Amino acid sequence: MRILEKNQDEINFLGSSQKELLSLNKKYGWSLNDKELLMVKNYFRMLKRNPTRAEIETVAQTWSEHCKHKTFSGPVDFIWKDENGKVKLSKKFKNLFKETIVYTTKKLNKKYCLSVFEDNAGIIELYDKSDWGICFKVETHNHPCALEPYGGAETGVGGVIRDILGVGLGAKPVIDTDVFCFAYNDRRYEIPDGFLSPHKIISGVVSGVRDYGNKMGIPTANGSVYFDDDYLFNPLVFVGSAGLIKKKKITKKVEVGSLIFVLGGPTGRDGIGGATFSSADIDEDTSSSHVQIGHAINEKKVLDVLLKARDLDLYTAVTDCGAGGFSSAVGELASDCGAVVELKNVLLKDKNINPWEIWLSESQERMVLAVKKECVYELKRICEIEECQYYIIGEFTDDKKLRVSYDDKLIIDIDMSFLHSGLPRIEKKAVYKERKINKNLTVKNINFLEIFKRVISELNVCSRRSIIEQYDHEVMGQTVLKPFCSKNESTPSDACVIWPYNVVGNFNDYRGFAVSSAINPSISKISPYYMSFYVLDEAVRNLCCVGADITRAALLDNFCSANPNISEVMGDFTAAAIGIKEAAIDMELPFISGKDSFYNQTVINGKNYKIPVTLLISAVAPVDDVRIVVSSDFKNEGNPVYVVGEFMKGLGGSVYSKISGEKDNYISPIDLKKNRKIYLRIIDAIRKNYILASHDVSDGGLLSAMFEMSLGGYGVDVDISKACKKYGVSDVEVAFGECGSRIVLEVDKRFEDKFIELMKGLPFIKLGDTSDENSFIIKNDDVVLINENPAVLKKFWEREVLR
Amino acid sequence: MKPKVIILRASGTNCDLETRSAFDFVGARTELVHINELLNGAKKLVDYDIMAIPGGFSFGDDISAGKIFALRIKKLKSDFNDFIKAKKPVIGICNGFQVLVKTGFLPYDIELKQRATLYSNDLGHFICRWVKVRVNKNSPCIFTKGLPDEFYLPIAHGEGKFISTRSIISDLKQKNLDALLYLENPNGSYSDIAGITNNSGNVFGLMPHPERVFFSLQQPWKNKGILSIGYEFFKNAVNYARGL
Repeated sequence: MRILEKNQDEINFLGSSQKELLSLNKKYGWSLNDKELLMVKNYFRMLKRNPTRAEIETVAQTWSEHCKHKTFSGPVDFIWKDENGKVKLSKKFKNLFKETIVYTTKKLNKKYCLSVFEDNAGIIELYDKSDWGICFKVETHNHPCALEPYGGAETGVGGVIRDILGVGLGAKPVIDTDVFCFAYNDRRYEIPDGFLSPHKIISGVVSGVRDYGNKMGIPTANGSVYFDDDYLFNPLVFVGSAGLIKKKKITKKVEVGSLIFVLGGPTGRDGIGGATFSSADIDEDTSSSHVQIGHAINEKKVLDVLLKARDLDLYTAVTDCGAGGFSSAVGELASDCGAVVELKNVLLKDKNINPWEIWLSESQERMVLAVKKECVYELKRICEIEECQYYIIGEFTDDKKLRVSYDDKLIIDIDMSFLHSGLPRIEKKAVYKERKINKNLTVKNINFLEIFKRVISELNVCSRRSIIEQYDHEVMGQTVLKPFCSKNESTPSDACVIWPYNVVGNFNDYRGFAVSSAINPSISKISPYYMSFYVLDEAVRNLCCVGADITRAALLDNFCSANPNISEVMGDFTAAAIGIKEAAIDMELPFISGKDSFYNQTVINGKNYKIPVTLLISAVAPVDDVRIVVSSDFKNEGNPVYVVGEFMKGLGGSVYSKISGEKDNYISPIDLKKNRKIYLRIIDAIRKNYILASHDVSDGGLLSAMFEMSLGGYGVDVDISKACKKYGVSDVEVAFGECGSRIVLEVDKRFEDKFIELMKGLPFIKLGDTSDENSFIIKNDDVVLINENPAVLKKFWEREVLR
Repeated sequence: MKPKVIILRASGTNCDLETRSAFDFVGARTELVHINELLNGAKKLVDYDIMAIPGGFSFGDDISAGKIFALRIKKLKSDFNDFIKAKKPVIGICNGFQVLVKTGFLPYDIELKQRATLYSNDLGHFICRWVKVRVNKNSPCIFTKGLPDEFYLPIAHGEGKFISTRSIISDLKQKNLDALLYLENPNGSYSDIAGITNNSGNVFGLMPHPERVFFSLQQPWKNKGILSIGYEFFKNAVNYARGL
């Protein structure tokens, strides 16, 4: 190999002023800041030469927001003001991420956490002393989905599955999740040129998740869709995947002299610069050619080969090719040793491609493996049977250098240490100002039935059947608690429960795990700080409802936000981050992985459309015995119906307030330490078989929850006045309020006394009994508020979200 | 005797593990074999007693569902014909049914010409739900022997609408080869056909997934007992193979 030649594709850094560098930065779209440009210049001044295009692109990708998360893990100067502008708190963070998310995990120090924040996904034990670990990762793919919803969603799903394949020595994915935030699909908006309508986005995204997830043979079995005007130009698409891995396969080791073996599809020009592009705002000129093209069957082949090869110990390390392509994957695997790469060996789908583009291409469905020379023959044989493409592009070295050539001409020759540790920190200013709160109900004398019909037909409450049915949520045969439960598949479930008997290979082992998620942008708009408590609480409550072991659960955080250089945006973000730290400590649950996505804002004709800070909490927990899992549909007539958890004041963030125009936006704070005790007691009651049905109260409030429970063949007859009296709240708040943390339970009447005994000292109340399938009766003392057949109401609820 | 089952895979097959588990549970020996391992001679079809072609998206369902897999199989048509003539049980589930139809094994054609197809659902997209089905009690199908009249099975497909000519359909009906029928037709299948068999009843293709309702835990509703309806399909196949 020859030494780096001068004048080939080099960028004149050494001879450029800072101003000239900034204009180069804009021209090439590196998204580097002043300090970073200076660092690059200084490094190459030391080398006494200019960087090549390949080198500067590699640095830009590696240092991008997308890959390094420099905002969240950077210093923040934070000020918290009350609604009158008075400073309540002023604090400087050196590393916001470490002082919030990582802090909780370290402080709680849970022994069941096997890998946190390091690998492509976090890993927890399937159960105490199990041979197996559960790994879980959730990603965002917002920017690509805004421009090309179908391709963006497909490659989002493909990417997060590769994260699971790239955990340790590769895990077997067993469930996918998807959570979306869109603008209302049933409203008319003015859509400027270059942007897509909510309808086009939602149908494209759902089709993309469907086509990719189904073809991968992984059930897409948990998720949610949230609608709000603020996501019109900036839809959010979260895609997750969880897998199982033997504990002994968790550690990767790159050995010097091992070959760099690429598994999967050929490389093309698609998606070049994806990481840097997602680190900037979207504007009218953003091109959809940044979005990659997906091909699910290629990834399925990669999955099949990888897991076969893993079980035969044919490689010692693996990672996925995601943002930054080979540059990131090889850079990551070789970070402690070094690598030489010859790009001439890369299989191409496009001959008109520059060497630096091959290196940076984000073509999908590729994994990079470290393979010992003696294992190559057997690995190639498996690839050939499975018809999976492969190519060997280089070797791992011990010189701590990254050297990349094309046709024997060196195009990159830099130190690994510069690439990975040379990141300058930029302090962000963050100002959080509390919103004005109105604590008084303004809307009086409502017709409960009419309002209720509008609540259950609101897009945030109505049935998600038209989406869910398009996903194969049954493939692998392990989905024991499905998105819909009951004989007629009518009642939505709180969480998905997987019984991994195929993967574990034992019919007699009834251990499994549950996956849930929660998101709440409407509370975020009122208080990002409280939003964090509510979201974390709801994710855990969902796990509790099905009977999962929340003492061994783990959390994932996915933050989305607008431009962090706006101090108010960074202020809301920081308030949410502080909130989630406190909430996780109170609930005693660690974070194991997460992701943040900034720049979810769009400037059109000078107006800035920003999303509210949006936090998705995904949770995973072991289930000791999948046979005791409780679903949410009522199981029989004449059983007592209890609500556990306090009813609280405030209609802030509720669907009811959106519909009725209610000005009360108060949100009661919730105490997660107390809730943890409640949830543990409910799980105990589930294990003792006292509970026949359980459902969490969320969007739409209590009546919506009880209505959903009434769709499986048995109705309900309750009196809400008892709750009004006991907790001192209005009938509207009891019926439609979304404050507090409540769970509706159908208790087996044979065990009612025992249930009451078990719940002693906790806030719980009996509201009535289950009834026949034709009854949905809601009374307030002697006034009948609603008396309707659930089948009639179902017509309002069963809307086609996709239309 | 433990019958030996070949679970025949291709790139994109994805219901192989649960199909294998089902046969394992009913006392068979199972092996996952890629079609390329038959084509390169590494494995021989004659060494197996039962064949299952599981669900999935073989070769991405490019061209049409199951088509490319069917073309690969036809390269070995005498081996497959021998297997079927020996009355060994063959089950094609979902994509496997599509493959059997596209090879011409179902409805059976002596020259292996394709005589029917499974077309895009009337709804225009993939559907995953539980549907009520009915067993044709007079069918020679060995897989559905002794099953209850009606029960629920999960479906999950984009191309499940069974289409053929009027004469072929009436022939199927006359010979009771329409072994499994929808009571709630989810995809627009002609004559509500969910699954068909051959004259000997040893080859069975169906769109619903019995392997996904093998255990009662896999139902959307819960009841007592460990096993569910899908168990019967696989037990029948193994019992039949034992008697050969």
